[in-house]
Amino acid sequence: MHVTMITSRCLVGAAVCRTLLLLGTLGFLLGGPPLAFAGPTTDANSESGATRVDFVHEIAPVIQKRCGECHVGQRAEAGLSFNTRQSLLKAEVIVIGHPEESELIRRISSDDPDERMPPKGPPLDPETIEKFKLWIAQGAPWEEGYTLNPQDNHAEPPLKLADVAVPPAGDGLTHPIDRLVREYFRAHNIAFPQVVDDQTFLRRVGFDLVGLPPTPGEVAEFRADPAPDKRDRWVRRLLDDRTAYADHWMSFWNDLLRNDYTGTGYIDGGRKQISAWLYTALYNNMPYDEFVRELVAPSSPESEGFMRGIKWRGNVNASQRVELQFAQTTSQVFLGINMKCASCHDSFIDRWKLTDAYGLAAIVAEEPLEIHRCDKPTGQIAQPHFLYPELGDIDANQPPKERLKEYARLLTVADNGRTSRTIVNRIWHRLMGRGLVHPVDMMSQPAWSPELLDYLARYLVDHKWDLKELIYHICTSRIYQAVCDESVTPGEEKYVFRGPLPRRITAEQFCDTVWRLTGSSPAKPAFNPPVPERKADFVRASLTVADAFQMALGRPQRDVVVSTRPEVITTLQALNLSIGPRLHQDLEAGARNLIQKFADKPADDLVRHIYLMTLTREPTAEEKQVLKSVLDIESLDVPTQSLEASHVEDLLWMIVMLPEFQTIR
Amino acid sequence: MTVDRIRFDGQITRRNFLKWTAGAAAATYLLGEPRLLANPAPAAPAPRADCCVLLWMAGGMAAPETFDPKRYAPFAKGLPASEILSTFPAIDTVLPGVKISQGLENIAQVLDRGTLIRSHVLPDLGHILHSRHQYHWHTGYVPPQTVAAPHMGAWMARLLGPRNPAIPPFIVIGQRLEGIGEKEELKAFHTGGFLGAEYDPFLIPYPEQALEAVQPPRGMTPSRFESRYQYYRKLAELDPRYKDASDFHRTSILRAMENAHRLLSSPQRRAFDISEEPKSVYEKYNTGRFGLGCLLARRLVEAGARFIEVSTEYVPFEGWDTHENGHVRYAKMKELIDRPIAQFILDLEERGLLDRTLVIVASEFSRDMLIEGVPGSNARDQSRAPADKMEEMIHYGLHRHFTGSSSVLLFGGGIRRGVVFGESAPERPCLAIKDPIGVTDLHATIYTAMGISPQTAMEVERRPFYVTQDGKGRPEMRLFA
Repeated sequence: MHVTMITSRCLVGAAVCRTLLLLGTLGFLLGGPPLAFAGPTTDANSESGATRVDFVHEIAPVIQKRCGECHVGQRAEAGLSFNTRQSLLKAEVIVIGHPEESELIRRISSDDPDERMPPKGPPLDPETIEKFKLWIAQGAPWEEGYTLNPQDNHAEPPLKLADVAVPPAGDGLTHPIDRLVREYFRAHNIAFPQVVDDQTFLRRVGFDLVGLPPTPGEVAEFRADPAPDKRDRWVRRLLDDRTAYADHWMSFWNDLLRNDYTGTGYIDGGRKQISAWLYTALYNNMPYDEFVRELVAPSSPESEGFMRGIKWRGNVNASQRVELQFAQTTSQVFLGINMKCASCHDSFIDRWKLTDAYGLAAIVAEEPLEIHRCDKPTGQIAQPHFLYPELGDIDANQPPKERLKEYARLLTVADNGRTSRTIVNRIWHRLMGRGLVHPVDMMSQPAWSPELLDYLARYLVDHKWDLKELIYHICTSRIYQAVCDESVTPGEEKYVFRGPLPRRITAEQFCDTVWRLTGSSPAKPAFNPPVPERKADFVRASLTVADAFQMALGRPQRDVVVSTRPEVITTLQALNLSIGPRLHQDLEAGARNLIQKFADKPADDLVRHIYLMTLTREPTAEEKQVLKSVLDIESLDVPTQSLEASHVEDLLWMIVMLPEFQTIR
Repeated sequence: MTVDRIRFDGQITRRNFLKWTAGAAAATYLLGEPRLLANPAPAAPAPRADCCVLLWMAGGMAAPETFDPKRYAPFAKGLPASEILSTFPAIDTVLPGVKISQGLENIAQVLDRGTLIRSHVLPDLGHILHSRHQYHWHTGYVPPQTVAAPHMGAWMARLLGPRNPAIPPFIVIGQRLEGIGEKEELKAFHTGGFLGAEYDPFLIPYPEQALEAVQPPRGMTPSRFESRYQYYRKLAELDPRYKDASDFHRTSILRAMENAHRLLSSPQRRAFDISEEPKSVYEKYNTGRFGLGCLLARRLVEAGARFIEVSTEYVPFEGWDTHENGHVRYAKMKELIDRPIAQFILDLEERGLLDRTLVIVASEFSRDMLIEGVPGSNARDQSRAPADKMEEMIHYGLHRHFTGSSSVLLFGGGIRRGVVFGESAPERPCLAIKDPIGVTDLHATIYTAMGISPQTAMEVERRPFYVTQDGKGRPEMRLFA
């Protein structure tokens, strides 16, 4: 039974994969050998030892090039379309497993000029015909979801931002974002969600803007403020805390710009940090267009690490030369374009060509750059070229420095809506849990509300590319402050927006919150921000070296661009949290510090403090019952100094392991 | 829809569902990315192995000093370097006519249990940097890559799942990733890569401390540990927002914590405690960290790990990485590996496990007295010893990185027994002259033995990414019995 399912699994959709996974799981449970993925096979074709045909790299390009004119996209001559496997099967030109009975093979091998396909140009060479035969014999495997039809990959939105007419206010919603969202909700028959209470708001916005939940003092201060616009002012206050803002957002930008304080390539000068420049730019809230220009066409060596890439010792694949890295990282980070496929060959998944990737690479190249296809030289020299020539192009006669400036200018001209949409979408993703376009590095995909995306992008451009203004604008909307949509599993493909999604806190947010509570922050940062007037209460995790503990919590190795961190905790991570020496030591020291701090004050004060500093709420009566057992006391009135340090340590551990603590709602 | 609903459909209820990766594998799979693309059936014969052990000779083990001895020239002051191919004499093995290097007497007696490959060829990546070649050997891809390539063990964990739900499927013993040189490069391939953190290795740098990786922190009694968890569950249930309902994050965190707790309180974690071994057995293995690592690996094979790597540990200029004084160091290194590797094979055989366990002994490249890389390479000579003649003992040894032929041992898992595969030239340059096999095809062979097609692919960023480089690996079927 399993054999059939394996050989047929490429033929059908995800449903079978899921069944297989469950069956495989069942196999483990029953104690049998691993089934689905490891079972022996009776498939005659693989027994022959012939290599499996690689559809994407061996068949699809031939179809695209030699059959595409008449049988791909809108054209389906004689009813044959190669767009999808389904459309191909419908035309009945292949008999799966039987090349000799397949019309397709007959036609491509025919000597009769009236019969032979393709009718134009030379016949397919015998080797290619053999590949097609083998491919059909092997069951015509076709990567799931793969389509040759460029239209299926969605028309890209126009480059220029739309002039979005914001719908009128209504239902008490006046904020332009809310008015646009209301429109979307109406179309999807969704009620506008309730706004969260103050403590939830303070915790969410604290984590989002400065990476920390509010202190009990801040909560009390906020509560005491009678002004109706106090939430707006709170957002402003957080954004005005330049140190905390920069400390927090360093992590996001370090991930995205693959900057770190140690790492691959730093040993032998193959890579350069931009930490000092980056921190200062965040601290001073450098306008985003200038920020992009400084990264692409640096006016000082301080910010050149990003565009210089990582130079590895020794020989590297042609597609990983630093010039190609430049093409890949600048297009991914600033435009949400994946140029990795096109760095080797014309992309099969979108419209980008090898010459596009090399066009970008040639902008930065100091020497003539020979185009390599799949690591083999083509003899062609790359010409500097911008991806959207309608905005302008790069003058190949200019020196590299000028070409970079021109590229930077083209990335940030007002008519280039792609750059503003991309960053706006990244910020929305950070604040709301999922991009308007998702995944965030595939900006050719449609947004769930193109109007809202373009409205926000326009807002950013109109506000002189001020990211803090953009963040302020989003965070003061009711939809940002709405209760979370708990019904969504991250990554689900059919997505309807219903409100912000809950998010897992990052390694840095975890460490910062614990360190501030327990006073166990490291004595020194790995990177000392060059801002003399900076005011920091303690060393933030974003400025420390990623140790095993932070990496276990999802802080990435920054040798590739990372735009999204994992939302889930793994068993290995849970093990580390349960017994890892690092957290254990921090909490052990923290328990001692807290006992000393609360000394003769009642234990009740201590537990309330811990709850407020982590969960931004007081413990309930029911919880206090459990806490008494944890602390092994009859009453929470006993003085803190009488508590056992180990009990306090365990209590701290329990709190920071709670899903409630590790999730931003 | 919650994770529970999908994952535990049908008869599989949460209670009896016990799986190492349950916490996030479900989630990863729900995320749809990366997802399994091509997964063709592997080539015949039927796979015999369900467990894989890689004994990693870190730092570039010289084949002429270990498993492929050449002409021996004893040390003599003034001896021209060009006359030296091996600095040890060869010894007989259990296989008639097959000799290996002195100092490997125990392994010599178990060679009839496996295949000795003498024609493994590695690429000359220009600047011969160990960690780059190790990255290549462990992932099948030459760094840098545009996406994070998974370690071989991560692929096996992902594609085959855990063999025993209470034992991490992918374990690395003996290699530190902190506090040593080239650590960032080492981290770059000790990873699940784009498969996700769920497939990261379970790291045990010191085998004698392995139990600490699966038991409560030092100073915490089992009863305190247990009550800490029980009260934690109680508090989690009291979360005022969740009287009944659940959600993705909450479910995923609680399940991961439950899995961790289960492992930490499971009697099976005793597999990590090598001190339980009888003293006589312990001493058979105890040649140092690597030897004890082999002992731990044997216990974990028995307990049900899927993939285990035991490394002699890569630290620049240590272990097999000899840039001078190679002869003296190699005598010690051989002492370190000889008894434990032989014992490991014998123990698996005695327990009836050798047939279903594929054991690999390999290194990132070999060494030569004179040639850096391959003949004609422009790689910089990194030896500290002169290339003309021997003046002192520290000049005596194979100090240059040679990629033209190296040795690999394969045992068990359906591999032929008592065979030497391939050959390297008897005179310098000792290039592979018969049946050369590179990393891509060697990996294809290893994956095939494990029942994984070399063309298996996952989709990442909408591109296929194959277990062997670009799906090009062809298994060497002559290596199978």
